[in-house]
Amino acid sequence: MLHWWFRRFSCMSRSQSSRRTGSMRPVNAAADGRKMRSIIAEDSEWSLELVPLLTTLCLQHIIKHFREKPILDELTPKYKAYVLQRLPTSLPLTITANLISDESYWKRCCEGRWAVSDVSTYDNSWKRMFFERHLENIIEFFIPDATDTKTVLDVVPLCRNYVKRLKVSQLLPPIRESPRFDEDDRSDCASDTGSEGPSMDHFDFRILLDKLPNLEELNVVYGVKGCGMNFEWNLFEFTFRDCEFLAKALHSCKTLQVFRIHRSKVDDEKCCLLVSQLLDHPSLQELDFSHNHISDRGARAIGKLLNRSQLKRLVVCNNQIRGPGAQALAHALSKNITLLSLNLRLNRIGDEGGQALAQALVKNKTLVNLHLGGNNMTEPTAVALSQALVENCTLKNLNLSNNKLGVDGGKVLEEGMSHNSSLVECDIRLTDVSQDRSITVQ
Amino acid sequence: MLQPEPFAGEEADEPGPSVESKNQAERITARRLRIAARNETKTRQELGEDSQGKEDIQEETRKSQKEVEKSKRHMVKLQSDGLELVTNIQVAVDARESDRRTELEEACRLRRDKLENEAKSSQEKFEEITRKWTDAKMKQTPLDLRDAMNSQQQLCEQILGDKNKLISELQQELKASDDHYVKDLKRQAKDIDLLIERMEEQISSLKKSYREDLQQIENSFDEERRTLLTKHRKKWGHQMKEQSEKELRNMMQGLSLLEEHEDLLQKLRVWKAEEYNTDKIRMDTEVQNLRKKLQEVKFNCHLNEEKLDYKYEVLKKREEENAILKSHLKRKIIRMQDVLNNLKSKCASQEKQLKTEEQSLRNDYTRIKQQYIDMQKKARHFAALDAERFEKLWLINEDEVKALAHRVLETDRIIHEQQLGLAWVSPPLPFMERSGPIEHKTLRTASQAAADTLQEETRGDLVEESEGLGDTASGVNRRTVKRILELLCDELGFLVESKLLKLVSHLEKNDQSLIKLDAIFSAIGIESEKDVYTMAEFLMNYRQHEETTNNSDFIHHNDLLVALKEFTAQYCRPHGVQASQKSSVLGLIMRDDSEDAAHWESIANVIPESKLRLWSALDTAINKYHTVLTERAELLVETQNVQQQNTELRQLLHLYTTSKVTV
Repeated sequence: MLHWWFRRFSCMSRSQSSRRTGSMRPVNAAADGRKMRSIIAEDSEWSLELVPLLTTLCLQHIIKHFREKPILDELTPKYKAYVLQRLPTSLPLTITANLISDESYWKRCCEGRWAVSDVSTYDNSWKRMFFERHLENIIEFFIPDATDTKTVLDVVPLCRNYVKRLKVSQLLPPIRESPRFDEDDRSDCASDTGSEGPSMDHFDFRILLDKLPNLEELNVVYGVKGCGMNFEWNLFEFTFRDCEFLAKALHSCKTLQVFRIHRSKVDDEKCCLLVSQLLDHPSLQELDFSHNHISDRGARAIGKLLNRSQLKRLVVCNNQIRGPGAQALAHALSKNITLLSLNLRLNRIGDEGGQALAQALVKNKTLVNLHLGGNNMTEPTAVALSQALVENCTLKNLNLSNNKLGVDGGKVLEEGMSHNSSLVECDIRLTDVSQDRSITVQ
Repeated sequence: MLQPEPFAGEEADEPGPSVESKNQAERITARRLRIAARNETKTRQELGEDSQGKEDIQEETRKSQKEVEKSKRHMVKLQSDGLELVTNIQVAVDARESDRRTELEEACRLRRDKLENEAKSSQEKFEEITRKWTDAKMKQTPLDLRDAMNSQQQLCEQILGDKNKLISELQQELKASDDHYVKDLKRQAKDIDLLIERMEEQISSLKKSYREDLQQIENSFDEERRTLLTKHRKKWGHQMKEQSEKELRNMMQGLSLLEEHEDLLQKLRVWKAEEYNTDKIRMDTEVQNLRKKLQEVKFNCHLNEEKLDYKYEVLKKREEENAILKSHLKRKIIRMQDVLNNLKSKCASQEKQLKTEEQSLRNDYTRIKQQYIDMQKKARHFAALDAERFEKLWLINEDEVKALAHRVLETDRIIHEQQLGLAWVSPPLPFMERSGPIEHKTLRTASQAAADTLQEETRGDLVEESEGLGDTASGVNRRTVKRILELLCDELGFLVESKLLKLVSHLEKNDQSLIKLDAIFSAIGIESEKDVYTMAEFLMNYRQHEETTNNSDFIHHNDLLVALKEFTAQYCRPHGVQASQKSSVLGLIMRDDSEDAAHWESIANVIPESKLRLWSALDTAINKYHTVLTERAELLVETQNVQQQNTELRQLLHLYTTSKVTV
């Protein structure tokens, strides 16, 4: 400050003297490299306001040395806001994670790291978004045996309070030690990957889930995203040990409310294993096994789970459940009092399962949404459903698209619906019913 | 975290709990307050809207609400339509997928059947071959064997051909399914494109319709607002006008008031100015006076200062002196303390010593007391002896004196008879008959006399005996004296001390009155028996004096006090003269030698003055005669001398004459 003034005065005096002598100022100034100084001195727009305040200098210093000495809570709200606004997003998380709760800072962090970020899906909390995505990133690029588990565990204490949802969109398999071997006999390798010596296990969730006290939602895909032309079957392998670990991890995580596992080749055995660990889970509300290979045995296991948990939503679309499995589910459904939504889209339950479900609907008093699209059902199911609709008074949405109900089945259904008072929407597209679609709003 | 609120400005003005406060509780209260304020304003707004032109606005709002509802319904319909349109694709894909699955299932079934058939046929063939092997073993001839081998080979080739055919078929199927997969992929991509397209379309159309609806709603709201605005503006203008009129009126009033006040102010100003002037003059004079006083005070102050300085100096010096003195005294104190300590120790030792001494003295005392008693005995003894000796001495001296007196008288008689030739008459000489020391009767004190008087009845003989003496001494009857004394005892009780009365209350009556009388006598100043009798006499006389009026034979107790007063006035003597003579400590009878001198004097004065003068005259005459005689004797001597001289001179003359003759 003082220095500034001093310089300014000296320059002024110099300029005056130069003016007195009558020589041209800029030439002279430029000649001895003091152009900057003379410009400052002559700057007509210069004012005291340009001089930074001592407080701002201090705050800038704090910002500059935040890494070594984080001072934040001691500041007054005004200065705190100033500091937060100017803190670099490159600061290590170990300092900032538990110290800074300001949203604007985390917003800057998120926007600096990811191009697209929709905070509305994260309860409008930028910090939560940052940590969830950060953790997801770490897990998604975790390579078993190659990556140290410490990289995950180091982050845990920083983000454990903020992570509520984990959407793991890919899990990398361990790196093969001899890719050449693979190329030589691909068919051989493809045939017996499951029993092969080197483990193909993915990330072990056991080390993570029990350390996240606020975790409520977990989405997992055992597969590689965007592999392109490097496609290999074993990139999409969900081993039995993986399943075991995952099941144990789920069992240890008592706060979990939503669990989704998509496109992971979950077959009956693994489904049974997962379900056995999820039995009597205190908080689980939604279970999603979409796009897997579950058939009747798995469906039976899920049916057992239905009445030993708090499940509200169950999605098993695009699996291979047939009549017996559907019957097992229907049996569970008839006793269930918690389930609100059931999705059986793209299964093969057929009339056998359809009729069983329709009979279950007569007894059930809670189910609101039922999706039976693409299930190879025909007229008998339609008859059974129309009878069920007469009795049932809770169901609001019913989706029967892609079933060959036939014209007669449609008529029966319409009749049944006319006696129902609760159904809001019924989708009967591509069901060979005379009218394309009917929306009953009552 | 917090929505931007329209009331932040208001709140900033209000002092109170701040949201940015450090105290958590305060922050909470601040937020609560804010929420409460917001709710309040909301309700106020609603109420205000309701109150202001209820009917019109309700209609208007109904219009806008209608618009909103309409658009809502429209949007819902649009959305559901769009959803349908979009989900149609999904459904179609689902349908295709389910078809594909059924196809797949069918193909699978066919394939399985085919495989099974093939397996069966190949099994049969294989069995045939194996059967033929046994046949071939039976064959002996090489030719047959070769034929059999050939047929076997043929059969094997047939099986292999079948298998190869099957493999090729399956490979074809695989290829077909690959193609199908690629096609499916393409179709799915197309579907997805379509989906995206439709979604975008939907979004754009929805956007458009939303915009339109918004426009409409806005328009309706705008209209509403405009109408409201015009209405409010009208109202506002009206109120403004009223307000300005009112203000004008107020201003006029204010102006008039202002003028009045100005007048008043002017008056007040003038008045105050005058007052101010007078005050100023007064104050000036006062200031002058005060200045003078101040000067004086200053002078005094200066003087005092000087004085004080001087005094201060003096005091300083004194203080120094005092300090010196103090130190000196301190030293002294220390010294004294030492001395004191010494003295104390000494004192203690002395005390000890004194105690021992005291003990010894006490012992001495007892011894001396014993000695004293012995001495008393001795003294008494010696006193008796002395008295005896005194008597002897007295007698001897008296004899001597008497002899001398005799001689004097004799000489006197001789002088008288021989010298003067007068007849000598012997003077009366009473002492000549007496011999021994004069025996005096001791004087009795008044109390003793009184006691005697009072107790006369008990010792009747004694009274009889001394009656004569009493009569002679005072001329007053003893009985009357007794009565007087009793009267005194009764009447003059006030002179007796109360303490004494208390003490004597238990004694006998005579003792009581005796003690009382003693006190009374001491109070009045009567000491001797004589005094008692003189008093009695006086009182009797007083009574006689009063007898003419009062017929009683005795003094009335009422007059007693007056009489006593008179008596005391007459006879009262100063005290302390007689106090010397008390009975001696030894209890010896002291002789009264007061008359001894007179006695001796009388003896000495045997020759009276006239006689002495006579004697002196005689002496002078005799002296003269003596002188004459001596002169004569001298003259005689002289004459003798002269005669002698004469004779001598004659002899000389004779001699001379004779010598001359010779010469």
